[in-house]
Amino acid sequence: METVYKWLKNLATGAPDWALLGVAMLVAIGFLLAVFPGVFAFITWAERKGLGRIQNRMGPNRVGPVGLFQPIADGLKILTKEDIVPRRADGFVHFLAPVVAVVPALLALVVVPVGAGLVAVNLNIGILFAFAVSTASVLALFMAGWASRNKFSLLGAMRAVAQVVSYEVPTVLSAVVVLMVVGSLSTLDIVESQRGWFGWHVFKPWGAIGFFLFTCGALAEAGRTPFDIPEAESEIVAGYHTEYSGFKFALFQMGEYLASLAMMSIGVTMFLGGYLGPGSGPGVLGTLISMGWFFAKLLAMIAVVIWIRGTWPRLRVDQLLAFAWRFLLPLSLINIVAAGLWHFIPSKPVGWGVSAALLAASCWVLTRLNGRAYIEKRSYRLTS
Amino acid sequence: MSAFGKGLLDGLRVTAVNFFGSYFDKGRKERLFTYQYPEERAPIPENSRTFPFLVADDPNDPVGTIRCTACKICEVECPPKCIYIVMDRDEKGKPRQRPKVFDIDLSVCMQCGICVEVCPFESIKMDNDYEKARYGRFNELVEHLPDLLKPNAYYHRIKPTEAAAVDAKLKAEAEKKAAKAAAAAAAKPPPKPAV
Amino acid sequence: MNAAFWILAAITVAGAVLAVSQRNLVHCLLALVLFFLGIAGHYFLLRAEFLAAVQILIYIGAVAVLILFAIMLTRNVTGTEIPREILGGKWWTGAATAAIIAGLLAWAIRADRTTATPSGAAVLVRELGLTLMKDWAVPLEILAVLLTAALIGAVVIALEEPPHPNPLPRRGEGTPRPLGERPAAPSSAQTGEGKSGGAA
Repeated sequence: METVYKWLKNLATGAPDWALLGVAMLVAIGFLLAVFPGVFAFITWAERKGLGRIQNRMGPNRVGPVGLFQPIADGLKILTKEDIVPRRADGFVHFLAPVVAVVPALLALVVVPVGAGLVAVNLNIGILFAFAVSTASVLALFMAGWASRNKFSLLGAMRAVAQVVSYEVPTVLSAVVVLMVVGSLSTLDIVESQRGWFGWHVFKPWGAIGFFLFTCGALAEAGRTPFDIPEAESEIVAGYHTEYSGFKFALFQMGEYLASLAMMSIGVTMFLGGYLGPGSGPGVLGTLISMGWFFAKLLAMIAVVIWIRGTWPRLRVDQLLAFAWRFLLPLSLINIVAAGLWHFIPSKPVGWGVSAALLAASCWVLTRLNGRAYIEKRSYRLTS
Repeated sequence: MSAFGKGLLDGLRVTAVNFFGSYFDKGRKERLFTYQYPEERAPIPENSRTFPFLVADDPNDPVGTIRCTACKICEVECPPKCIYIVMDRDEKGKPRQRPKVFDIDLSVCMQCGICVEVCPFESIKMDNDYEKARYGRFNELVEHLPDLLKPNAYYHRIKPTEAAAVDAKLKAEAEKKAAKAAAAAAAKPPPKPAV
Repeated sequence: MNAAFWILAAITVAGAVLAVSQRNLVHCLLALVLFFLGIAGHYFLLRAEFLAAVQILIYIGAVAVLILFAIMLTRNVTGTEIPREILGGKWWTGAATAAIIAGLLAWAIRADRTTATPSGAAVLVRELGLTLMKDWAVPLEILAVLLTAALIGAVVIALEEPPHPNPLPRRGEGTPRPLGERPAAPSSAQTGEGKSGGAA
């Protein structure tokens, strides 16, 4: 927003300040509201085509060239569906839950820099703000499950809340590593600290593990496969959004996809160098190229997430929670120690070697310790 | 981490190969098993059946060569009573052996095939056309005689073995009748001269 | 005292009033969430951005969820309305208490002349961290020990299960009985009553 404000000031020097500020705010907000739901629509199309091709079938190909307008058709369909609210449901909470699902995701996008200097609000506490509002979306799951007055919805909501709350811890801790090394919470500083060849944090040992941890946590918080127990098609009817139909259901879907987009954008910012890439720099062309880099990285992450969805089976809910508490959490704590060693050991190669060795050793140890938890055979008490 | 997680990465490799293969491989047209309806349709087996239709021997004169004689056996035997037949009568009231009205209500027909089993003239057979959607629920789902009448060539096309067997049977019956008529004509005394 | 302050104050007070006056417990909780959001907004106005973000993270992300779990696990699933009698029909006792406390707080705040004037500059997280690690290191460690103790206590409470009064035999224990045979006296067999034991 500040970039737009400065540019407007250069353009219209006579206009009053508050008008320029208002226009800059509108441009920033409008960009976010137009682009990211547009990316959401694109993701729905890409997911259906991608999963179709992986599964030896075509995706949608009727509405527009290669089915590109399918999201529009989906949107129109779901807008015209009847909005059913159960009679005993808590009307006010039932109505608010989809809103509370969507708004935190949009708020988290406010601090993501989509181009050189193009961040909607450059908060000092950027990353912390993004995580803080992401945790507020837990309430939406709960409100949805409770307000439906449906025992199965409530059960699904409890499982969803347990999953989201468990995966918040390794996510935030893996982000802490980046903050430690960068020394600032502001997203622009984080991106700027990744300049240079192989300067992205993902190329450093703690960054690679941190990226893996963060991606696992982001996938689990958004409820994507392989962690989509709360909303998978074959699970407890439909989990916490059983009693929703029509546009409220669409808002839940949008909230889930936008949350995953927001987390992936933050991951790109923190680990993959944000908008940095050859050719991105100040100036109009540089800014456009930097925006291109950011969206290219984001789309690459989206493609990987869709790929993972088409490939891996779903984790059972106890396996899910065990994975978070017994593998990701110790690994994230050891990651912090490794990052500290990397930063403070005076000689660079020794620092790299020590931290890489520590992380590799801890990965191996943790997988050995957890191995039995994954492949244990279930024992059935009532059969011989 | 070689044993742990290797399966995951192998799985990713398999799906990636499948994804790109579905665009570039040689045998991709057969591998994608989507039938792009309505341009392509899935093949249906010969014995599948949906609703009945009436067979006419000559496509140029379907109403004249209809095999049905309006005997009403199928109307009586139909379990949900979905057939309605009115015999065609000429000016003097004498019945012509063919139906004037032959209605089948598709919303009632349960596709049991009993009408086919009991027809003595091989005139009603089961079709396998499933695209019967209409824009109404009541009158629009009743099929009348012009809709039901289809030529024998159509029957051969959809059910070749069955149609061949029916044709052979009809030909055998016709030959037997002709032989009997010839034998009766030969045994008859010569006609008396007119007085 | 600009417009933002008044709007946020209205939201905060509305949240607080609704939180104590609603009949449905979950509605009360949602109003409390609104109250927390208002307080976070006030922190933003006071340029304490870190505190505002932490307020949202902790209070809304953790405390509100905790209260939700508590409501859900202790009430029946369909939610109960709070009967009027528990609240008491006498609203003026609450009002009187609130007035006394508000008066005391106002007097105390106005009488205290030693508070520093707000500088107007944002509190940087870096300075907060340095202060925490240097001047307040010992209280930080004590808090960490306290939190760890609480965490361990929670895990212990969650793990501990009372032994089942009629446990089924584990694999390899107990002798299978042929079907149709009446069980022995209840004190002898640990498989309990019924013909369900030993379904080999």
